[in-house]
Amino acid sequence: MAVDTAALDRRRFLRGTGIALALPLFTSSSARGDQPADHTPPRRLACFYQPDGVPMPLANDPAFDEWAWFPHGSGSDFRLTRCLEPLEPLRQHLTVLSGFSHPSARSIHGHSNADQFLTGAPTGPSGEYRNGISLDQEFAAHVGDQTRIASLVMSTDGGTGTPRGAHTMSFNRHGRPIPAEHRPKRLFDMLFVSSDPDAARRLALSRSALDDLLEDARSLQRSLSSEDQRRLEDYLHAVRETELRVQKAAKWIHTPLPKVEAGSLNLELTPEQPREFLQTMYELIYLAFRTDSTRVATWQIGRENGVGISDYLARAVGFNLTHQLSHNTKEPGGWKNFGTYCRFLSEELARFLQRLEATPEPGGEGSMLDHTLCLFGSASSAFHLSRNYPLILAGGRSLGFRHNQYLNYGPQNPEGGAWEGGQEPWQKAVSHEDKPLSNLFVSILQKLGTSTERFADSTGRVDAV
Amino acid sequence: MPIRCLQTLHAVCAAGLWLSAACCAPSAFSGGGASVYGSEPPAAADLSAARAAGRARSRLIHSGNLRPPADPRVPAGNPQATDSGPMPTADVAGFQQRIAPVLQRSCVPCHGPDQVEGNLRIDTLNPDLLHGPDTAWWLEISSVVARSEMPPSDAEALADSERALIVEWLSEQLRSASEVQRAAHSGSAFRRLTRYELNYALQDLLGQPFSFARDLPPEPFSKDGFQNSAELLQMSAGQLEVCREAFLKGLQRTTVRGERPPLLHWGCSMQAASADEWTRLDKQQQQLREQHASDPAALETALAEFQKQHSRRHGGAYYLDPASGLTDGIQWGYGGAQYAWPPQSTPPSPPPTGGRTAIVPPGRKLTVELGDQLPEFGPLLVRVRASLDSEPVRAAAEPASKSGRVPELQLEFGWQASNDSQASMRISDIRHPVTADPAGPVWLEWRVPLDEIEPRNLVRGINRLGDTPSPSELIRIINSGDSPGAVRIDYVEVTAPAWETWPPASHTELLGTTPNTDEQSAAREILTRFLRRAWRCRVEPQELDRKLALFNTIRPQARDFQEAILEVLAAVLASPRFLYLGQVAENSPGGCLDAHQFAARLSLFLWCSIPDESLLELADNGTLQQPDVLRLTIRRMLADPRSARLPREFVRQWLGLQLLGFLKVDRRVHSQFDDSLHEAMQTEPIEFFREVLNTNSSVLDLLHADYTMVNQRLARHYGLPEVAGSEFRRVSLPPELHRGGLLTQAGLLAMNSDGLDSHPLKRGIWLLERILNDPPPPPPPAVPRIDLADPEILKLSLKQRLENHRSQPACYSCHARIDPWGIAFEQFDAVGSWRTSVRGKPVDAAAELWNKTTLDGADGLKTYLLEQRQDQFITALVSRLATYGLGRPLRFSDAAQIEHIASQLRAEGDGLATLIELLASSDLFQSR
Repeated sequence: MAVDTAALDRRRFLRGTGIALALPLFTSSSARGDQPADHTPPRRLACFYQPDGVPMPLANDPAFDEWAWFPHGSGSDFRLTRCLEPLEPLRQHLTVLSGFSHPSARSIHGHSNADQFLTGAPTGPSGEYRNGISLDQEFAAHVGDQTRIASLVMSTDGGTGTPRGAHTMSFNRHGRPIPAEHRPKRLFDMLFVSSDPDAARRLALSRSALDDLLEDARSLQRSLSSEDQRRLEDYLHAVRETELRVQKAAKWIHTPLPKVEAGSLNLELTPEQPREFLQTMYELIYLAFRTDSTRVATWQIGRENGVGISDYLARAVGFNLTHQLSHNTKEPGGWKNFGTYCRFLSEELARFLQRLEATPEPGGEGSMLDHTLCLFGSASSAFHLSRNYPLILAGGRSLGFRHNQYLNYGPQNPEGGAWEGGQEPWQKAVSHEDKPLSNLFVSILQKLGTSTERFADSTGRVDAV
Repeated sequence: MPIRCLQTLHAVCAAGLWLSAACCAPSAFSGGGASVYGSEPPAAADLSAARAAGRARSRLIHSGNLRPPADPRVPAGNPQATDSGPMPTADVAGFQQRIAPVLQRSCVPCHGPDQVEGNLRIDTLNPDLLHGPDTAWWLEISSVVARSEMPPSDAEALADSERALIVEWLSEQLRSASEVQRAAHSGSAFRRLTRYELNYALQDLLGQPFSFARDLPPEPFSKDGFQNSAELLQMSAGQLEVCREAFLKGLQRTTVRGERPPLLHWGCSMQAASADEWTRLDKQQQQLREQHASDPAALETALAEFQKQHSRRHGGAYYLDPASGLTDGIQWGYGGAQYAWPPQSTPPSPPPTGGRTAIVPPGRKLTVELGDQLPEFGPLLVRVRASLDSEPVRAAAEPASKSGRVPELQLEFGWQASNDSQASMRISDIRHPVTADPAGPVWLEWRVPLDEIEPRNLVRGINRLGDTPSPSELIRIINSGDSPGAVRIDYVEVTAPAWETWPPASHTELLGTTPNTDEQSAAREILTRFLRRAWRCRVEPQELDRKLALFNTIRPQARDFQEAILEVLAAVLASPRFLYLGQVAENSPGGCLDAHQFAARLSLFLWCSIPDESLLELADNGTLQQPDVLRLTIRRMLADPRSARLPREFVRQWLGLQLLGFLKVDRRVHSQFDDSLHEAMQTEPIEFFREVLNTNSSVLDLLHADYTMVNQRLARHYGLPEVAGSEFRRVSLPPELHRGGLLTQAGLLAMNSDGLDSHPLKRGIWLLERILNDPPPPPPPAVPRIDLADPEILKLSLKQRLENHRSQPACYSCHARIDPWGIAFEQFDAVGSWRTSVRGKPVDAAAELWNKTTLDGADGLKTYLLEQRQDQFITALVSRLATYGLGRPLRFSDAAQIEHIASQLRAEGDGLATLIELLASSDLFQSR
């Protein structure tokens, strides 16, 4: 698979005109079905994962000023380096955070930890493996039934990957990985072309069974003493609630799909045309949100540790393999090269955020961005080090998120520098107590309108966001 | 450290995990059973004498409650003859004559108009315990007087005869009050099956050992520590959804479709695996021969040197050629799946013995990579040809033959997809001891359902073999390392899917043997069988018809008959008639369970599962509750292998063993602690309880016995003579080991440590709560914190720190009741090992109880319990077993029944199996 340098210049697409959309207006009944009019504008969550950490030159390194990933300064008085500079126009919609990590991962090799970025579960370095529910699925459990698709799960490498080498950010309530879709065409079809043919059948089966259960419960209830009847109420209530869920789900089967014309959207792209691939994937999330087909999306932009198609993404900026950039930082220009790749990711993230910002929230105040919280980050900062995660929160001002700030809870002199061999940073003793990332997840879930008090190993909230 | 722990415990209390002053705990009811027949005598010569002395002063034996409590089905004053008497009445006259004068003199000075200690005025309490409002206070008074905790030591002592008088009168009145309440109140014992009960029930119903309830959420623990407590077993829409999914999936896993899938075989001989290594070794030797062709002496030296270099032991698993004695390390790497054995479609033939073999030293693993062709479902059969490695040159410092212990093999499954993505897990509880001589290796076998393994390598079928991430999977054979012996493995054979028959028995038992062309009658047949077992009742024709109607509704939407019928069976399981038990009909006299509900409660109690056909038949013909039939039935059920679940589940919950599972021991300090010991520690209490049950030994053995159950790892921990293998077996305990009974078991001592050091508070609270059913009250809202910055405090020994804490008035009343019970165990460290010194100072395990009795270490504590607290312990055990068996918290109205059962138990010799029979055939057990 040679590098198709021509691809790098094919920026014909999505610029300005973007794709020609025959979008029915967002609020029209064809997109939203015959649901009762719900006047609260939707709240959305999108999460993105960048693998392999970020540039962390030491303060005395010449590259520190320009190519350290974390901003300089703090609070509202901060300066983005060239890694994040493309996000500068979105400053009012943006918070950069440092000094967060999942406690259970802090002494585990960074490449094993993408699995728990959104779950906070102690997935460990080897041996037995158990994961927990991810942030997006926790939110989807609250809003998933309000849209045709409960959540969109995407990755560049596709599928689930393997435990400790996930290709997905999303895990269900049993901690099992949810396979991610990596093909733009399949995503588009799923969203706008055809619905799951088996879904209607499964729902019908479920309905018949539930009717039967209700009848069983009622006939039993009639023979019970009044004290016992009260206990059975629990069960009856559960059956009735499940019936309502099934009815709701069934409605979507008969709701026509939103009409979106692919137009110039190139759906046959692969990561071998990296920039266009990123743009297409972001655009699909935008379209899914815009048509209110879902309110939850995750996209693992790359798997940890290379060895996957996502490793080609750095070809967008003229490098061969992405993961190698994080290893070559001790070479001349190494920080700049790694930073240039991060800058590329920032450019495409900024493009997506600006697209949301430019779209007024249908039926609500402000822009779509104001109603959408985006979380962008990685489970490692310095070389293989699962501490001090690089994190960006963007959007969601109408949900109560405060922005234009750099919240630095990290150590005075964060671990960094090029690895010169010997003991790796992750093998060193923990010298700084990061804040549990799950605390941030609790705050996110609360602002998204859930009544979450705890998530994974959380010990509180983060009120500064 | 203890200071920090005090704070932790207070946090626990604040979280409400502690029982509030248990005004209705039935144990308190019989006055705690402490001696009222004489003050503390000199300590008995030994523990068995203590036991005899304690029995001699048992109140339950001498004036116990052998008359069955009033039958709540019979209204008071009804002359109709039953075994039970009429409803009792309050003895207010007796109170005025005999009790009030003693209370007036001994209690009222501090609990009266002049002084109101503890917010209690005894002079104004209503002496009608049956109908008055002060029954809870009387309960409390009865307990503290019986335990000689009141009057306090600095007040005028109460004469033994007076103490006995008060306790006797209060016990009698409280018992009557309980009977009155029982008649007046109903309550409910209707509950859902727990997650673990559902799992066992499905295993019995579907005939497969799968973990059917894996996805169900775990149940919470009640205040008493039980997970089957009716009021906590809720059902939400989410739970119902998970149940339905799990039931359907379980039914699908039990059945198969289509033709028998082809068998795949892997024949992995170490002779073949080491071919490259030996080619190299041969080549090196050949080079030496060529090099020294002209000099035979030099050649001999060179070859001898070569032999010496290449016959050493290796750290990990390695190869050995028994003929030449040469060894070489085993190479394995995940990259490119280059070490994966290809499967073949014909059964391989094992190579002759005596060829090259793998040696697996203690604690090491042999990796056998199997590629990406292992199927999704069906049994995985792993056979290993193994023997001991007795070559002296490689034997460890302590030769295996001299050790009484034997190496054991365990099976792991895993993969390595890339350098940082790997997993490996034990997939079978089976540990095969290896005792065979190298000349006669034996076959060891594991059979594991492939779909029980989770997670599998998820890039199978996506990536090709050789790609990274690698889709290859592997097994590892582990020498568990409990013995110094190494193991030889010269051949590993893997077969999958190794169905013994097709379709498997579980399929035909559920869906029948021959395909029935008439779907209606086939469905009727299947449903008739299944409904009967799952709903454990006589199935009414209209209920069967309703399920057939559901089948007919579903059938057109389903792909085939099997899919439709499994959907219906899943609905049968999701029905409340499967999920719930313990219901009582509105018009049932006295709240009695009907025969089928009783059968279900009985089998849930003894088997953690649903009734079998013979139990159902006894319920059908109405004979189950006849005393003789019931007694025989209980004995049959206890003899059934399913009864092993009773010790496992009851003991786990009663003693709170889940905390032992979570225990994180500091292995730098306690280097002898390992996974095998951790596992053995969790098993011992269960095996010990099972032994007491199986031999119908006295329940007092749980407090102290001169035997216990150990395996080789635990025997080593206790310093017992070595036993071979991880199976638990009964051994005698010499007194100098200071073991015997639950209290001094390593696991329970370790559980109530903090992983680094002992934790007297945890141990004390645990003993009071779990063993004596006398939970301490929660701490007051504003307890003073101990100033850890105070250097004077840090200088103190642990016992001194606790004393210091106790000296603060706000802490005293609770800690004086808790601390001594824990301090008495100070001779045991954080992993339950015996010790005589702590940080260079001799252990001080002498503890003074609130009532001024001194406990001299754990032996002293056990002596005291056996002498003075037999009845309290027995009543506590009866209460806990009843709570578990009924699946609901006990009420004050149950107290008379509990005391009755305890009295019967004492009269019949204290046997644990006797207790189970008494409980299961009691009136209490037959009503809600």
